[in-house]
Amino acid sequence: MRLLAVCDLSKRFGGLAAVDGVSFDVHEGTIKAVIGPNGAGKSTLFNLITGFDRPDVGSVDLLGCNIVGMNPHKVVRAGISRTFQNTQLFEELTALDNVLVGMHTQLRTGFLGGALRLPWTLTEERRARERASYLLRLVGVEQYVMTPAADIPHGMRRLLEIARALAAAPRLLLLDEPAAGLNNRETQSLARTLYRIRDEGVTIVVVEHDMGLVMEVSEEIVVLDRGRKIAEGPPLLIQKDAAVIEAYLGEEGEYV
Amino acid sequence: MDSAALLQFAIAGLKNGAIYALVALGFTLVFGSTGIINFAQGEFFMLGGMLAVFFVRLGLPLPIAVIAGVLATAGIGLAFERLALRPRRDSGPLVLIIITIGGSMVMKSLSRHVFGGSELSLPAFSEGPSIVVAGAAIERQAFWVWGLTIIAVVGLTWLYSKTKFGRSMRACSLSHEASRLMGIDTARIVMVSFGLAAVLGGIAGVVVAPLTQTSFDVGARIGVKGFAAAILGGLGNPIAAVVGGLTLGLVESMSIAFISSTYKDVIALVLLLLVLFVRPEGILGRATREKV
Amino acid sequence: MRWTRRRLGITLLGVMGIAIAAVPFLTDDRYLLKVLTFVGVNAIVVAGLALLFGYAGQISLGHAAFFGLGAYMSAYLTTTHQTPWLLAVLAGTGIAAAGGLLLALPSLRLKGHYLAMATLGFNEIMSVLFVELRGITGGNNGLSGIPFPSIGSFVIDTPAGIYLLVWGVAALAFLGAANLVRTRPGRAMRALHGSELGAVASGVDTTRLKVQVFALSAALAGLAGALYAHAVGFISPTQFSLEFSILLVAMVVVGGTGSLVGPFFAAVVLTLLQYVHALIPGLGNDVASVIQDWEVDISGMVMILTVIFLPGGFAALVRRKRIGVAVDGETV
Repeated sequence: MRLLAVCDLSKRFGGLAAVDGVSFDVHEGTIKAVIGPNGAGKSTLFNLITGFDRPDVGSVDLLGCNIVGMNPHKVVRAGISRTFQNTQLFEELTALDNVLVGMHTQLRTGFLGGALRLPWTLTEERRARERASYLLRLVGVEQYVMTPAADIPHGMRRLLEIARALAAAPRLLLLDEPAAGLNNRETQSLARTLYRIRDEGVTIVVVEHDMGLVMEVSEEIVVLDRGRKIAEGPPLLIQKDAAVIEAYLGEEGEYV
Repeated sequence: MDSAALLQFAIAGLKNGAIYALVALGFTLVFGSTGIINFAQGEFFMLGGMLAVFFVRLGLPLPIAVIAGVLATAGIGLAFERLALRPRRDSGPLVLIIITIGGSMVMKSLSRHVFGGSELSLPAFSEGPSIVVAGAAIERQAFWVWGLTIIAVVGLTWLYSKTKFGRSMRACSLSHEASRLMGIDTARIVMVSFGLAAVLGGIAGVVVAPLTQTSFDVGARIGVKGFAAAILGGLGNPIAAVVGGLTLGLVESMSIAFISSTYKDVIALVLLLLVLFVRPEGILGRATREKV
Repeated sequence: MRWTRRRLGITLLGVMGIAIAAVPFLTDDRYLLKVLTFVGVNAIVVAGLALLFGYAGQISLGHAAFFGLGAYMSAYLTTTHQTPWLLAVLAGTGIAAAGGLLLALPSLRLKGHYLAMATLGFNEIMSVLFVELRGITGGNNGLSGIPFPSIGSFVIDTPAGIYLLVWGVAALAFLGAANLVRTRPGRAMRALHGSELGAVASGVDTTRLKVQVFALSAALAGLAGALYAHAVGFISPTQFSLEFSILLVAMVVVGGTGSLVGPFFAAVVLTLLQYVHALIPGLGNDVASVIQDWEVDISGMVMILTVIFLPGGFAALVRRKRIGVAVDGETV
């Protein structure tokens, strides 16, 4: 089933087209990768989908509803969560609290309920904590439950941000370079984590430079170059695509 | 209302407006090189006037006392930057706001101890009766106000556009990091801009002291109004500060002419809030796009 | 280990609560009780400001104005319209909340510096209005003869009674705030302070949240103001100046951001500074008057020194882990 349909999306900054007429679909239950040289427009694409930036033209449909123009926090409610290239954790909060903030849209306690500690507030809190602990275990950072995010090692911070994104119970998870700065072993375990998340029924789109990871986990790849989509297809075909090879050779050969 | 009376109000507006412009220039200067809004700017105004009175009372001749007042204010500005702001220079805006607010609190309160709590006045710079132009009387001191404002604007514009120091200053306002890499001594730039802002505030305080009395607690309100003027024009260049100051002065005096003097101060503040809410980049400022 | 620490904390709080509640039974010094009542009043404002500034990272230099709004509203209603006390206090709280909402809606789109200036401007506007709207506020003379708190025929007219009333409200304010920061809205506030981007990406409607916290803290300031008016019986415009707003912010800064206990103690200490002689009877009149005279200087210096040398405020000293990122942690 088609979960997300990006259609003819474009965004210019000044005279520069950051994203230029990009279209693609994401099917439910799959892992899709978006790759491309630096400055190809990958992060801008994420910002456009999640409402952090508004496209000049084009549409983004989530299950048939156009979400362009929605505020980013509403996009989260609609079912799309994201992580950032530069992790945006709440440094002073513990890992558990970070994930609990991620559950914001899933909880109901308001100012009054929170201040008065009403019985059902407490019930909701207890359930939220259980769910948050589960998510921390799912991504594998359970040993840092009560550690402030600032004190958690780099690789684990990326995983924690994924757990926080998952806490909003998204249908679609957008990960912006989750493997950046991870060592080989950590990247391997990230791959397993992504499978686990997909098996929980969450569809994933990942922007990534680590080609090993991309080729391993993704079922389909979208290749961007200077804002335009230059190829789309399964990993084996993308690796042989002439346009893709040229785009990458233009930058750094090591990617292919 | 006849035209002479209207002219009289306009002149009063331009006179106050020039004072607002001088204070606004101080805000612009510090904001330009540091990105800080200096909540103690109004206290520099207060210190200029109070120190000049203080020196006159010590027996110094008026011109010397006036210059000494401005220089002493500059010294306080430099010391404040060096002692209180520099240690936390790289902190977020909240920290810097708190430091400048704390600074203004201390300057004001210390002034009360040193100069006393009563209103003080300074003799006019030039003796003589008001000059009558088209039926409107202009105090001689007003010409000092305008003259010094013009000198300050011309001087600052020259400094900004023609000197190496001015270019370094503008580079600082864009990025401290990049400026440092280009070999600009950002710490010195910041300190000098505080010193200059104190001079501007001090001049405004000194030159207005003969017209209205001054006291230890005048800083906060003139500070808000100077900021209103700065934001009205658009925080950025000296000309904008002057346009903002004169506009504010005129609006105020016209509101006295046509409405009442009761809400004169409120009008300036409401104007400030409106500009902040509707067009924070100011009348002359360019809209900047916020980047996520 | 965590449990024993937590138990220790709760025990200490309990002892403190009992000590505060016991004061009127240990002394009948009317002046001392009045001073301690003022401490309680300020503590109520600080509870709200600690949420707004210390947790959500939004500055306000206008809380004295909300305090004044609450005080004038309640005083005006009870003196000229014979409104029942409870209704008047609620109206005072309500008008402050409404004022907060009105100011917050446009202001909170503004960042740090501008927000500070906008709230400062608001405080100055209200200062002028408190003087000029003579029909309601009594101008520079203020309003006097404000009745004691009463419900029906039950009148609280003793210093001890008013003390207990104010401190009861203060205790509720702090309990509520402490609960709040540990549940969904409070976590969202702390998140906002930590990373606004991250908060938005977690589905937090940051604008709405900022407005809510601002209105809540304004309401608490209004409530405190209303209680104050009935506790002293007389109010005048000078009591709601910008200086008071700054002093309130200083209490939160010195006490520590991201803490409630810190600002509470700072509120106690900085308020008592104004009334040292009431506290230490042995203190010579000269010493007391010198301290009172220099109170603003002391508060200002303490605030600057705290920000420079102890960025997390005094609460960070007590916290065992990591000295707080403090006011720096906000996003720009």
